[in-house]
Amino acid sequence: MDDMTSSSRAGWISGITVTVVLFVLPVFLGQLGKTGEYWIWVSTEMIIMALFAMSLNLILGFGGMVSFGHAAFFGVGAYTVALLMKKADFPLYLALTAAPLVAAITAAIVGWFCVRLLGLYFSILTLAFGQLLFMIVFQWYTFTGGDDGLHGVPRPEILGPINYYWLCLILFVICFLIIRMIVNSSFGLSIKTIRENMERAKFIGINVRRYQLLNFIIAGAFAGLAGGMLCELNRFAQTEFLHWSKSAEPILASLVGGIYSLAGPAIGSSILIFLKIFLQQVHRSMVEVWAIVLGVLLLVVVLFAPQGLVGLYQNIFKKSQS
Amino acid sequence: MTWQLFVFMLINGLCQGMLLFIIASGLSLVFGVLRVINFAHGSLYMIGAFLAYSLSTIFAGESLMGFLILLMVVPPAIAIIGFVLEVSLFRRVYREEHLLQLLLTYALVLILDDLVRVIWGGEPRSVTRPDLLAGSVDIFGMALPSYNVFILVVGPLIAFGLWFLLYRTRTGNIIRAAVSYPDTLGALGVNVSWVMTSTFMLGCWLAGFGGVLTAGLSNIDLGMGMQTIIECFAVVVIGGLGSVGGALLGSLIIGTGLTFFQLPFGRWALVFPYALMALVLVVRPWGFFGKPER
Repeated sequence: MDDMTSSSRAGWISGITVTVVLFVLPVFLGQLGKTGEYWIWVSTEMIIMALFAMSLNLILGFGGMVSFGHAAFFGVGAYTVALLMKKADFPLYLALTAAPLVAAITAAIVGWFCVRLLGLYFSILTLAFGQLLFMIVFQWYTFTGGDDGLHGVPRPEILGPINYYWLCLILFVICFLIIRMIVNSSFGLSIKTIRENMERAKFIGINVRRYQLLNFIIAGAFAGLAGGMLCELNRFAQTEFLHWSKSAEPILASLVGGIYSLAGPAIGSSILIFLKIFLQQVHRSMVEVWAIVLGVLLLVVVLFAPQGLVGLYQNIFKKSQS
Repeated sequence: MTWQLFVFMLINGLCQGMLLFIIASGLSLVFGVLRVINFAHGSLYMIGAFLAYSLSTIFAGESLMGFLILLMVVPPAIAIIGFVLEVSLFRRVYREEHLLQLLLTYALVLILDDLVRVIWGGEPRSVTRPDLLAGSVDIFGMALPSYNVFILVVGPLIAFGLWFLLYRTRTGNIIRAAVSYPDTLGALGVNVSWVMTSTFMLGCWLAGFGGVLTAGLSNIDLGMGMQTIIECFAVVVIGGLGSVGGALLGSLIIGTGLTFFQLPFGRWALVFPYALMALVLVVRPWGFFGKPER
């Protein structure tokens, strides 16, 4: 999974190719009129959700900790942008800077408690804190608008659909490179060591809790940025962003894509969103049964390909080589 | 607060708690033996409620007989669904990581919840209470629905039944042995996988039973599964994962807590289960009656 030396060049080439394709994509989609505009919107959402999935995978795949409350930080980021721009007239760039900061502070508080627990108990505590935050946002009508959410988040005029797509793409590429740097740094290696063998990590002098907490905060910050970006895309923030079913989305995406790879969660997330939209375009009734399709897909992955698509690809690729 | 109001609210809270206990005890029992947290428990409970609704339209739920039929037919039906799920799916992931187990049950939530939506549609529904339980009982001048009294009687009966089953029968000995020493139990010639299957079915039976009772108590809708499973998590965490006695305590705390906090805090009372769950996990992760592990 970490054969950096051999595949590093191939990784860079494919990464740059994909980025270039993604950069010119909206120019072509823009020619298609209304449908094109719709697909630009979908692509923007894909980019944002890919970032969300990658942020979770810092804890899930690299840290080996299953968080069921990650949507809380996503939602906090979204509400930060919505509140700052709507109620305090902040410009977008400041609001998008504040989103990961506020999310990181929230993650620091929540994480301080959570990293004290292991395994299943960690999962349940993240779920409890996530739902706690969800309930607070849900009930606090005067501040968050309760279940109505916050609508009409202002959008700077220069940011049309294509420009906003580019902004999100640039932010995504920057975040991708930062996450890549983190994963390959000594910090990232320590996090992986903790995942593989916590006792041993302790013996060689790694402060397990501090590393896990830091990782949790970093992941929360990226989730917050993703939430803020989605808020600006939809121009609203709603309580659903914090709900535990939203926390499950990046988990599914990571699992489908492959939790032990860097780009896996982003790929998985994009595939799931594309599949959903595609099936809806094929037939209206598919909207009704999407959850069933997703559930069956998930069952298949859990039972037959727990390494995800990237793992599957690597297996086939390596077999054909040897 | 007058003491009459206090007693009235206490009874209402205990009623809510008892209903929660019936559902949560199933979740806890299943976790104890299978070591899997079953997200789909809430969905099975919801299916139980909707199945009760459909059957009540056939069997004329107003008669006591019709209602008893619901109570006798629906829970075993859910247990059979549980049997199919356990044998075909759960069995394959007992040795896997927590993540895969959780995701398997979450996949079932997605599938089952959507199936309910496809089959029954999104409108809230309810089951007509049997005439005998449709009235109300006078408690210090306040009307308490007889149906709540009914739940207040049935809940302890279920609790007693579970206690009797677990601590006074050979089956119970085997189930408890499967919780503590599954390998030894297998070495002694007990078919452990069958113990797991039947425990899972018992858990589903309880979910179905809770579903029928809920259908008579209030409106049932598509969100009930998701909401209840989280409340059950809270209950089970507070009491201790895998402990049925703990589930009873947790349910009663949550039930009465929700009722009493509603008076000063209104809708904010709904925050209580999550806050308490988080608090217990931080202070004593294994709950009141659980054992520290791992």
